[in-house]
Amino acid sequence: MNESIAISASNLTKKFDDFTAVNDVSFKIFEGEIVGILGPNGAGKTTTLRLLTGVYKLEEGEKIEIFNENLKDNQINCKIKFGIVPEISNAYSDFTVLENLEFSGKMYGLSKEEIKNRSKILLERFELLDKLNAKTKTLSKGLKQRANLCLALLHEPPILILDEPTSGLDPISVKIMRKQILEFRKAGKTILITTHDIKEAQTICDRILIMNKGKIIADANPDTLRRDFKSISTIIFKTEKELDSKLMNYPTLIKRSDGTFAISSENVLKDLSELYNSFTLKNQIQISDVKIQETSLEEVFIDLIKNDSTKKKGVKND
Amino acid sequence: MIKDKLFKIWVMAKKNINLYIKKGPVIIFGLMFPFFMTLSWVLGRDISQNQIFVGIIAMTTFFTSTAISPIVFPIETREKSLERIISAPISLNQILLGIVLASALYSLLISSIITLIFIIIFQGLFSSLLYIFLFWLGIILMSILGSLLGLLVSAIPTDKTSDVMLIMNLIKFPLLFISGMFTPLDVLPFPVVVLSCLSPLTFLIDIFRYCVDGHSFFPYQIDLLVLVLWIIVFFIANGYFHRKTMPKRF
Ligand SMILES: Nc1ncnc2c1ncn2[C@@H]1O[C@H](COP(=O)(O)OP(=O)(O)OP(=O)(O)O)[C@@H](O)[C@H]1O
Ligand SMILES: [Mg+2]
Repeated sequence: MNESIAISASNLTKKFDDFTAVNDVSFKIFEGEIVGILGPNGAGKTTTLRLLTGVYKLEEGEKIEIFNENLKDNQINCKIKFGIVPEISNAYSDFTVLENLEFSGKMYGLSKEEIKNRSKILLERFELLDKLNAKTKTLSKGLKQRANLCLALLHEPPILILDEPTSGLDPISVKIMRKQILEFRKAGKTILITTHDIKEAQTICDRILIMNKGKIIADANPDTLRRDFKSISTIIFKTEKELDSKLMNYPTLIKRSDGTFAISSENVLKDLSELYNSFTLKNQIQISDVKIQETSLEEVFIDLIKNDSTKKKGVKND
Repeated sequence: MIKDKLFKIWVMAKKNINLYIKKGPVIIFGLMFPFFMTLSWVLGRDISQNQIFVGIIAMTTFFTSTAISPIVFPIETREKSLERIISAPISLNQILLGIVLASALYSLLISSIITLIFIIIFQGLFSSLLYIFLFWLGIILMSILGSLLGLLVSAIPTDKTSDVMLIMNLIKFPLLFISGMFTPLDVLPFPVVVLSCLSPLTFLIDIFRYCVDGHSFFPYQIDLLVLVLWIIVFFIANGYFHRKTMPKRF
């Protein structure tokens, strides 16, 4: 395959005084991919995006290339390739939607004619035409988000950077936004998106970078992530009788709030037969309604982060 | 290429004027302050018409030029719009120049209007057109200088306008009081004159006096040179400090 690399980031690090928010992060994003950075609050997602978009200065040894052009040497050329939708709206709140579009358009070198034509198309597409002359500070969160999308798309950038584009939106807006993102990909755009919503990452991303405490702890496509962690399926079952204390201490067994029991399992067949052995054969307790739950990406995510944390606590980082 | 760059500076400046001209601190510190300062200085005192004129214009130029430039970064840091322009294809220098231009144009406009009003009301302030031109050159230089000074103060990476305004006033008032605005330099003792020379305002007032009185403490060429030197120093300092503190705003 001869895919071209849209973004190549090497050894990104960002410290705030003594605190390392992004710690030696490297990744590549290919043209036309939707890549999600998934991580809990404070993982360093926004900081990573800010490094990419040239908000923070790069130190010695850090390198970012946008379509093979070095960001450090060609700031203007690289920055023009990005369309950025920030976590919190950063349009000029005292400007109207139209004034913001005009300002942005000029900033990105568009002609008056281009700004006018494209604005009309975008505002129509995002159903904002009636808000054309409303100050952005008067817009609701969802409308602000759409206005920010228009601003990001105005100069038709090849790369879209979306920082939690669906957080805080109502379910319908979320759906519309996700549909939009998939359409951007159809239009050939490369998309980098951050989220803490695992389902979102799972449904729209081609590849997921899981970030925790400033490091990328996994980089894979959603299916691979799930497959690798299939080892921890969950077996759910009912019993006809209460369990005695000995059985309650069965490895990994938990009683769930609905009265059913669950054990986690690396090998479902083997564990089922052991379960049957211990419960039914040895203790005459019938088990019923057995369900095997496939690991969700959510559990993968939590597991990865949990492991990452215990590892950090237990072993000294070298 | 250079035309594109200049155009973007102009777009930035226009944005700054549109957004910040009506902001509280700009009106309070840019217009009301010089007005009331002048009033309390002039009222009940025996001051010559020329001295009042020079004082009012010097104060107006100085105060209006330092009104917009210090508040742009704090406000845009708070409102997050700074991140929008920092990640846009425009250099930090262009952003800085956009602020200086806005602040200087605002000052230039207001100071020129007031000068014009004085010229019309008190005829015979200037004995020749050349003096008017020199006077106006002084206003232009001070507008740029003041706006660079205001911008420099806003290199503190804060998101509160009150922080920069406090420091701005801590700098502005001493510069005003040692400037020889209230007492002509010729009657001051030598050590005080030396102190006065620390304030760029001293040289502006000296140019102004030359234009209306026909004589000044320093040759006006020296005054112009000193103002230009201050502009260069502030220019370099702004580039240096903002480059350093900008990342701390995010
Ligand atoms: N300007 C700053 N000064 C000090 N610490 C900061 C600054 N910006 C971010 N941090 C810290 O760096 C860490 C990473 O922040 P970042 O905003 O990148 O996280 P995130 O993954 O985007 O989180 P969220 O999901 O909450 O948006 C956090 O612990 C945050 O407190
Ligand atoms: Mg974030």
